[in-house]
Amino acid sequence: MDLHLSPTDLEFRDEVRRFLDENLIPETRRAAALTTGFINDPEVAIGFHRALHRKGWSVPHWPVKYGGSGWTPVQRYLFEAECARAGAPIHNGAGSNMVGPVIMHFGTEEQKQQYLPRIASGDDCWAQGYSEPGSGSDLASLRTRAVREGEHYVINGQKIWTTHAHKSNRIFALVRTSTEGKKQEGISFLLMDMDLPGITVRPIIGNGGDHEFNEVFFDNVRAPVAGRVGEEDKGWEVAKYLLEFERGGNPVAGRVRAQFARLATLIGEKCPGDADIAARFGELGTDVDAMEMIELSAVSALQTGANPGPLSSLLKLRWSQIRQQLAELAMDALGIDALRWIAARPLYETLQLPAYEEQLLAVMPRYLNYRAYTILGGTSEIQTGILARSLLGL
Amino acid sequence: MNLQYTTEQNLLRESAGKFLAAHYDYSTFQKISGGESGWSAAIWAEFARLGWLGLPFAEDQGGFGGGAIEVAILMEAFGRSLVIEPYLATVILGGGLVSALGSQNQRESLLLPLIEGSLQLAFAHDDGTAPVMAKRSGSNYVLSGAKKAVLGAPGADQVLVSAALGKDTAGVFVLPKSTPGLAIRAYPMVHGARAADLDFGDIVVPASALLGANEDAASAIARVIDSAIAALSADAVGAMNAMVATTVEYTKTRVQFGQPIARFQALQHRMVDMKVREEEARASCLFATLSLAGPVAQRARAVSGAKAKIGRCARSVHQAAIQLHGAIGTTNELSLGAYAKRLLAYETLFGTTREHLRRYAAIIADPAIAAPGLLYDPAGL
Repeated sequence: MDLHLSPTDLEFRDEVRRFLDENLIPETRRAAALTTGFINDPEVAIGFHRALHRKGWSVPHWPVKYGGSGWTPVQRYLFEAECARAGAPIHNGAGSNMVGPVIMHFGTEEQKQQYLPRIASGDDCWAQGYSEPGSGSDLASLRTRAVREGEHYVINGQKIWTTHAHKSNRIFALVRTSTEGKKQEGISFLLMDMDLPGITVRPIIGNGGDHEFNEVFFDNVRAPVAGRVGEEDKGWEVAKYLLEFERGGNPVAGRVRAQFARLATLIGEKCPGDADIAARFGELGTDVDAMEMIELSAVSALQTGANPGPLSSLLKLRWSQIRQQLAELAMDALGIDALRWIAARPLYETLQLPAYEEQLLAVMPRYLNYRAYTILGGTSEIQTGILARSLLGL
Repeated sequence: MNLQYTTEQNLLRESAGKFLAAHYDYSTFQKISGGESGWSAAIWAEFARLGWLGLPFAEDQGGFGGGAIEVAILMEAFGRSLVIEPYLATVILGGGLVSALGSQNQRESLLLPLIEGSLQLAFAHDDGTAPVMAKRSGSNYVLSGAKKAVLGAPGADQVLVSAALGKDTAGVFVLPKSTPGLAIRAYPMVHGARAADLDFGDIVVPASALLGANEDAASAIARVIDSAIAALSADAVGAMNAMVATTVEYTKTRVQFGQPIARFQALQHRMVDMKVREEEARASCLFATLSLAGPVAQRARAVSGAKAKIGRCARSVHQAAIQLHGAIGTTNELSLGAYAKRLLAYETLFGTTREHLRRYAAIIADPAIAAPGLLYDPAGL
């Protein structure tokens, strides 16, 4: 066993670094650093995404025939870590990490041809229509109704927590096509254009001041049946497959490590002699190291063709907590300065201050927004329930 | 990067688990730890026969050429089975120092009997109120001062002691425990291991007692101590693993309110929390183990980080395990209490959780160290 980078890995890492030096422009880097929500605005991310696409790196984890890079798990890991370290934005994970893999696995040939290239190129932005006001953790109880009329479904109902619906041109949604039998059995998975008549979007502003979430209303929306992925009433299987990607799959250690390193700088500037802060920072460091090792174990298992097992739920559970605690410690380290509030968003358009001062103004919004980390994609309590079954056999 | 066990490593893990499951259960532990010496000669002879006493030493030193991973595999099995024999004191600390510092002659006269099972060692390092000093006096050294809580000293044949030779230099002396003037106050520790406080008075030892005639042994000492912390961390991971498994099994069989208490969500979530901590501890331990061969800064960061992290996880796991067992968990009817005590010892031996957290925090405060990931270029060191 070892943690060594092989000569090939090192060469690869240097190639990624060169690419980042040449293609990640300072404006993009700054805008990403001043993004206080968990998702980058498409207008921030798209330029860098297009550069990735030109290089053939925009959807590296996909199979090569759909535009993937054919990298090993270690290379994927290094790529994500280098991008995170450089402060690169991520363009529309709902497309490349969620609906993309679903279309590859369950979609028709037409759907693959229609959608996958436009996800890879960044031309399409996808929103996720899963949760409803009455269906959060109990997702299968969803009620948005789709009634078949010829070659269309007529859709009525409401989705909520639809991240970036206002910035997306497409949406994938779980809809109820049958009220017979078990609640999981009457669900279908539908792809739709956001500009269909009858779809309206209402913003929900987070505690952190950012507009990321929305409500999406469907009022007699006529959506083509051709947009259904998988069989009618069998969408639950598709939905669960997608959640596996949402909860794990992409290496995340690099992003958390980058957040940790920013905090090191902040503490060094703001309260270098504070023993309590230093101790909390140290404890978080040991948490980050441990979780990076767990993720590397999963990468190593993948590399040898073994199955990493239930590690993805464990990783989601702990990373989300650690990211919150890092944001919390940043807030505590600032003391009274954390209370200064700039209401306008996005901060990268509003602010014109020295880089360090700008960063301070992102600390409180980030703390507030990051409370959602342990809720979205399956709450910590849901993940814990999954782990009770998968890890402990309870 | 590769974090998969080799076939040989898996075999070692299986054979260690099998041997200990057959020969070392809770009642064995109780009998041995409650006995006069605190270790079993019969078990020790089996360890020698299985090759475990020579595991970490190079083949040209009479050993089997195992590395830190092999040691960790064995130590995890020891922790899981509550093995109380002085493996850490004799093999990892004593043997480790002789192997690193000893002259050819010292290696032969100490390592060979150690590997055979006929010699036990202890390493006196933790300073008491009066740190041990060594002063040259003709062809001898005079040792003065005291050491506290020396693991395995009561049963050791020879004692190794670190002593300051000058302002920044240190050496390791080896002397028979029966050396006249060496005062030994022996006692059992809470988890069953034997330890002693040693007072060296003004013992005169021959110059040949200085391992390898080396007056600049500080970095070798630090490396051996770090390897002992990594090994003990694997032991703690084994103990945590046993506590979590025992707790899950217990809640599946304990019926209250007409159902196994494992069905209650509050208990399930607490057990997942225990398991997550065990996995995090295992990952920290692996990082420390793999860093032993690396550069000093990386090693200190990984080892102190592991000690701080695992100490914290261990405290939380032992408390939860006792709580979920209810009243029976507070008694020695079950093995649970023995594991809890073992983990408490882990938290304090070779530096407390707090001390290691401080050491780690001082290292990681530097953004240049905090920022890079854990994979590294072995040629760039």
